[in-house]
Amino acid sequence: MADKQTILNELENAVKGLQQEAVLEAARKAVANGVSPVEAIEDGLAKGIREVGEKFARKEMFVVELIYAATIMEEAIKVLEPELEKSKEKRHAVGTVVLGTVAGDIHDIGKNLVRIMLEAGGFEVHDVGKNVATETFVEKSREVGASIVGASSLMTTTVSVQKEVVDALRRAGIVAPMMIGGAAVSEEWAKEIGAHYSSDAGSAVELAKHLLDKGA
Amino acid sequence: MTNPMKIGSLGMRPFQVMDPKDAHAIHTNSLHLLESMGIKVVSDEGRRLLKEAGAEVDEKTKVCKIPGYLVEESMRKCPHTIRMGARNPKYDFVLDQRHCYACTDGVGVATIDLETGARRGSTLKDVADSAKIVDYLPMLHMYNPLVTPLEVPKHAHTVHEFMASLENCEKHFTTGSTYQREEAIYEIKMAEAVAGGPKELRRRPIISSLSCTTSPMVLGMTTDAAIEFSRAGCPPLLMAMPLVGATAPMTVAGATLLGNAQVIALATVLQLAAPGSPLCYSTEPMAMDVQSGLFEGLYPAADMVRAAHVQMAKHYGIPIFVGGWGTCSKVPDVQAGYEKAFSAFLCYLSGADMTSGPGMLENWTVLSFEQLIIDHEMFTMMADILKGFPVDNDSMPLDVIMKVGHEGHYMGEKHTLDHFRQMWQPMVTDGQTYATWKAAGSKNAVDHARDRAKEILKTHVPGPLAEDLKKDLREIVAEGEKNIPH
Repeated sequence: MADKQTILNELENAVKGLQQEAVLEAARKAVANGVSPVEAIEDGLAKGIREVGEKFARKEMFVVELIYAATIMEEAIKVLEPELEKSKEKRHAVGTVVLGTVAGDIHDIGKNLVRIMLEAGGFEVHDVGKNVATETFVEKSREVGASIVGASSLMTTTVSVQKEVVDALRRAGIVAPMMIGGAAVSEEWAKEIGAHYSSDAGSAVELAKHLLDKGA
Repeated sequence: MTNPMKIGSLGMRPFQVMDPKDAHAIHTNSLHLLESMGIKVVSDEGRRLLKEAGAEVDEKTKVCKIPGYLVEESMRKCPHTIRMGARNPKYDFVLDQRHCYACTDGVGVATIDLETGARRGSTLKDVADSAKIVDYLPMLHMYNPLVTPLEVPKHAHTVHEFMASLENCEKHFTTGSTYQREEAIYEIKMAEAVAGGPKELRRRPIISSLSCTTSPMVLGMTTDAAIEFSRAGCPPLLMAMPLVGATAPMTVAGATLLGNAQVIALATVLQLAAPGSPLCYSTEPMAMDVQSGLFEGLYPAADMVRAAHVQMAKHYGIPIFVGGWGTCSKVPDVQAGYEKAFSAFLCYLSGADMTSGPGMLENWTVLSFEQLIIDHEMFTMMADILKGFPVDNDSMPLDVIMKVGHEGHYMGEKHTLDHFRQMWQPMVTDGQTYATWKAAGSKNAVDHARDRAKEILKTHVPGPLAEDLKKDLREIVAEGEKNIPH
């Protein structure tokens, strides 16, 4: 039997080292040795991605490395998933975020970056995708009990849809703060529609944490 | 970035500003001028060498009529590749007509103070500081003092500049203002002390010299200094500075012709003095503002002369060092940016081995530390384009394209991870969002460059000279100060 801590270290280091084979191998080892899947994620993989995220924010690592780290982490989680379903354990999250690109807009690279950074920051993120109907934002937020809702828009023609999302959430009685971002969005626009603006993925995490602290 | 000491092209073809038959016409007309009207050679030794080789020399007018065959024979003796040594051998590089490099230019007399922003007379500290920054910047390959120190004895300024460079920069040194034979002798002495003797210096020349010809049709006293450098195996860079419309005809072809005739005449003298010795073609034309009569380094006519001279150097198969990157702007601004970018990029696209001029404003007379950083940034961008790109199975990843499919992105692909480090990255260029930019103080490239220059000067430590070597060099400088004619 391999030592649990060794396996957790391997998971963490493989994500940090951007080693796809190594991270999958470590995940299989975790399953074979009966390591709790929640522990494998939170004390292994997530620790690795958090460090990559911090290095990215400090400009010590590159966006491509961050995304690749997130990609191989997701692949490792797929290996752990059957165990996760069997076990009764739940992952601990600092907050639950529903995230998507608004209806009419298919640009999702920025939104995906925000997702990765939020996940690295310990959030549980429900990514509803791109070109997402306003009702979907509302339904998903209600279903998961979102603590924050995020809506992205790159195009000037679709920023108005962000207002529709805020309005629809409020009509449905959902009071979770709304975060917006994307190339066509500004601080002023956010204020006008009663939302909060962040200009990039790094500051989105800080804003999300700040909003939760304020809410608590 | 690949090895910054070797910037090459992957299959890119040089731009030719002239049809090859026009380049040939410039050459034959240059021979015609040298043979029929001749060139005035002020240097006694220059005239003696030409006379012994068969030129018709008039000692009264000092005009030497040089037979075409002698010029052509001399041009054939010029080496096609030149090794440029450096104080630290890791900075050695080879001018091989296939790679491109960048150098500072001189010799200015004023500096825009990094702290106060005021334009003031230049000092020895400016020479030391700019040398230190060049030592730090990865894509600047050699150092030519951007300014001359106004506080040292004028007759010996070159040895002081060389000393300040050696103490602060481990890269190849070129002197832009050595006009007398004695200056050259002391600079060569210093270079020999650093290189470890005359033989070592010949093998890895750590110094070269810009040797100006005078337009129209004169080889001045600088010829004597150039002869000393040639004999020591240190490449002179034979520079023509035709002023289009004033010291050269008003046409691009006329100025190209005049400058070319001067350069190949000086090359002939130097190959007679030291057969087979290394030398570079060089040019730094300017153009007249026809309204005012003032001169500007970067008007399109002057840039076309630059490109034409690059083509002439290729015609002779010798490396070329182009004085470019000029601007008449008084501050690092938009005009400085576009004039410099046009000028330098045209030279490199034409196949120039080396250009000089980063960091200078007001037609190469004023040093701006901010501009030095910005011009380096521009060169890194040009170099990234000039190196070209491979076209092969790895760079055309059919499998990755099919895997990603019709939507999605490539940002998480291993192929992207494997290749992203080849991507150009900025040092001072702003690529932030508006909000982030505003929050960080709304800084533009000049502000970033100023911060960066200050940081380099505060933190960068160039490899030191050995104490005993430093002592020897100081003695040579003192001796030079005593013996170089006032």
